[in-house]
Amino acid sequence: MSQKKTVAGQELRDMFSAAASWLEKSSADIDALNVFPVPDGDTGTNMMLTMRSTMDEAYRAPDHSAAGIAHAMARGALMGARGNSGVILSQIWRGLAQGLEDKEDFNAADLAAAFQQSAQIAYKGVSNPVEGTMLTVMKDLAKAAQAEVEAGNDDIIAVLEAAVNAAAESVAYTPMLLKVLKDAGVVDAGGQGVYTILEGALRFLRGETELMRLRKPQIIVSDIPHSASQPQTISVDEVPYGYCTEFLLKGEKLEPDIIKKRLLKKGESLIVVGDDSAVRIHIHTLTPGNILQFAAKLGTMHQVSIRNMDEQHQDFLEMQKERMPTSDTAVIAVAAGDGLADVFGSLGAAAVVPGGQTMNPSTKDILQVVESTLSDKVIILPNNKNIIAAAKQVESLTEKKIAVVPTKTIPQGVVALLSFDYEAEFNTNAEIMEKALPSVKTIEITRSVRATKINGLKIKRKQPIGLLDGELIAVGDTNLDVINQLLSRLDLEKAEVITIYFGEDAETEETEQINAGITELYPHLQVELIRGGQPHYSYIISIE
Amino acid sequence: MAVKIVTDTLSDITSDLAEELGITLVPLYVRFGETVYKDRVEITSEEFYRRLVSEANLPSTTQPTPNDFLQVYEALAEETDEILVIVVSSKLSGTFQSATQAKEMMKGKCNIEVVDSLSVAMGMGLMVVSAVDAVKNGANLDDVVALVRKAVSRSHVAYLFETLKYLAKGGRIGKASGLLGSLLSVKPILTIKEGELAPLTRVRSLSAGLDYLCSYAAGFSNIEGMAVEHATNLDDADQLVERLGAIYPKERIYRSVISPVVGTYSGPNALALTILEGEKK
Repeated sequence: MSQKKTVAGQELRDMFSAAASWLEKSSADIDALNVFPVPDGDTGTNMMLTMRSTMDEAYRAPDHSAAGIAHAMARGALMGARGNSGVILSQIWRGLAQGLEDKEDFNAADLAAAFQQSAQIAYKGVSNPVEGTMLTVMKDLAKAAQAEVEAGNDDIIAVLEAAVNAAAESVAYTPMLLKVLKDAGVVDAGGQGVYTILEGALRFLRGETELMRLRKPQIIVSDIPHSASQPQTISVDEVPYGYCTEFLLKGEKLEPDIIKKRLLKKGESLIVVGDDSAVRIHIHTLTPGNILQFAAKLGTMHQVSIRNMDEQHQDFLEMQKERMPTSDTAVIAVAAGDGLADVFGSLGAAAVVPGGQTMNPSTKDILQVVESTLSDKVIILPNNKNIIAAAKQVESLTEKKIAVVPTKTIPQGVVALLSFDYEAEFNTNAEIMEKALPSVKTIEITRSVRATKINGLKIKRKQPIGLLDGELIAVGDTNLDVINQLLSRLDLEKAEVITIYFGEDAETEETEQINAGITELYPHLQVELIRGGQPHYSYIISIE
Repeated sequence: MAVKIVTDTLSDITSDLAEELGITLVPLYVRFGETVYKDRVEITSEEFYRRLVSEANLPSTTQPTPNDFLQVYEALAEETDEILVIVVSSKLSGTFQSATQAKEMMKGKCNIEVVDSLSVAMGMGLMVVSAVDAVKNGANLDDVVALVRKAVSRSHVAYLFETLKYLAKGGRIGKASGLLGSLLSVKPILTIKEGELAPLTRVRSLSAGLDYLCSYAAGFSNIEGMAVEHATNLDDADQLVERLGAIYPKERIYRSVISPVVGTYSGPNALALTILEGEKK
């Protein structure tokens, strides 16, 4: 592999020019990652347009040194920045320009230092920086580049590669840092944009121009579990989002820091960046007029854009509908315990209604969740025999098409949800899901609330008892004892997977014991231990 | 002069079968780190899956160059003036572009048609088999192009992957991304829809997966061709073929190994079932 010790001005320009074209190819894909109300309706397009302006200026630069090109890029980016992401991108170039100040060409250490500078400046431009965005990605990649240099590597390609790899990881991790991303099951669009730009630059330096022409950047996929939306009451008169207001202010002796302070309380998502002759302002406000009046006193305004974000929100909801490409059916599940709710969410349930044993949700509770989903067709998984009737009532109270798959336990609900067929019609799907129910056996372990005799069993108060598919058939001194009794009644020859959902009151040590015990007794089975967090049942076990 | 048929190695047509059919295979490239191999010429499928599991970085694949196609076209042009090229879905690989660019360079020298199969693996492999049959029965280039274009919508595949792990790492997964992020270990069942990977359903056990594949096959009343492929799990494939024997003569089921491009997403344990539906009479 070839090494590269220095990069001169023209090569700096060419590599980011290639990077801009690379970004351009995936701008629509990046747009599709947008999550409202994270600002920017169209991150990919905005970053692409910002890069165009950035590179146009770079080609006009009279000074062909690295410093001259970087300076022109920063200027071009500031003048042409679009949207939140574009403005932050312009700060990244500004940092790069500062880092490469006075340099004819630059080496690996210069590049790493310039990235650090970029990260710093980018954070500074935003009034309240949010982690899990392009800021985080920039910070992480700068750190990786620095570490590579400190490890003694002076090859620019290797250092950039370390930065790009770190960026990819950082992008994949953004949903962990930002809940809106996790809820939507996407990575941060701006972060993806930064990654794509640097990946393009790296590919150029590696000489992969032919490949760049034929291929397209990949969107990073995060395998972090999706979460199901928890039901929320949506009132008609919710707080409006206001107007996304942005413009370039030109004047003399402008003071970005003072402007920023003055605007701080006028709205959300404030960004003020620039120098004494040009300042770019981005703010979400209910009163854009006041902002413009204020700015008009300081200089002239250019590229003024005021967009109604409530309209954007409507568009976003429409886009969300379109984004569910393979199925227009939503599945909602009833479950108690945050762990179980996460399990259903991660498997694609549109929402989870809290409830279960001894806290059955009402028809109204379920109806509310049904109405809040975006789909017109909803399949309900009650997951408890006492909730099935309430779920069935929903149909007569809504315009939406409803099917109730009569799941009596959590494992049945999981099996039903898993067997969802993305290509099947609504009714067929409900049938497929119902047919799948016998393929799972459910064990539930709880404690007796009083002394009793049932099914020939003598049960003391608070003694561990076990249910198999809803029927109380085992009692014992310990949970483990009861589980073993129940498992021995089942034909496990053909079973493949045992899943243990442990409840909120399950003890870690005991859980480990149960896990180890089953694994030892039935070595051919795959045993999975999942935190269900459910009340009342110490353990819910599914056997498939 | 009879039409000559060219396809790429993502058709999963083995070199033995290619010889039997009298067609030419153009290999894609598989890259592990810095080393590039010609698919199934310089790296065997076994070696590919062994390294897929053991190496930290996932391999990547690259389409054949236009020149790779050009050389094949030039050699074939000595014996024929009509060439049909059937390539992997243009949404999964740039092979279509390379094949088309090479075609432009042959303008005036030979009559070449490049067809985007919008599929991969034996999904396109069975189209190739069907095209070879048609040529044997005297079809000319126009006839056989029309035939393959029509076959595109009759080709159905179902993949059973043992894990989502590789799918998540692999990137370009089309509409299948909705399957990611499961807290439980699940085995995804995928198909190819409009040239891209798309989800069918998920199962938790191999036996449930085999049940699904069998009922998938049973859903077609008129089956022209069937293929079963595996990655490293030959036994599972044997079991599937045995069960499919109930609905289709098992000696007629084509067997092959899942190509590296799909293998990058599937990992070392995967099954692929392909069905070419018969033409509606």
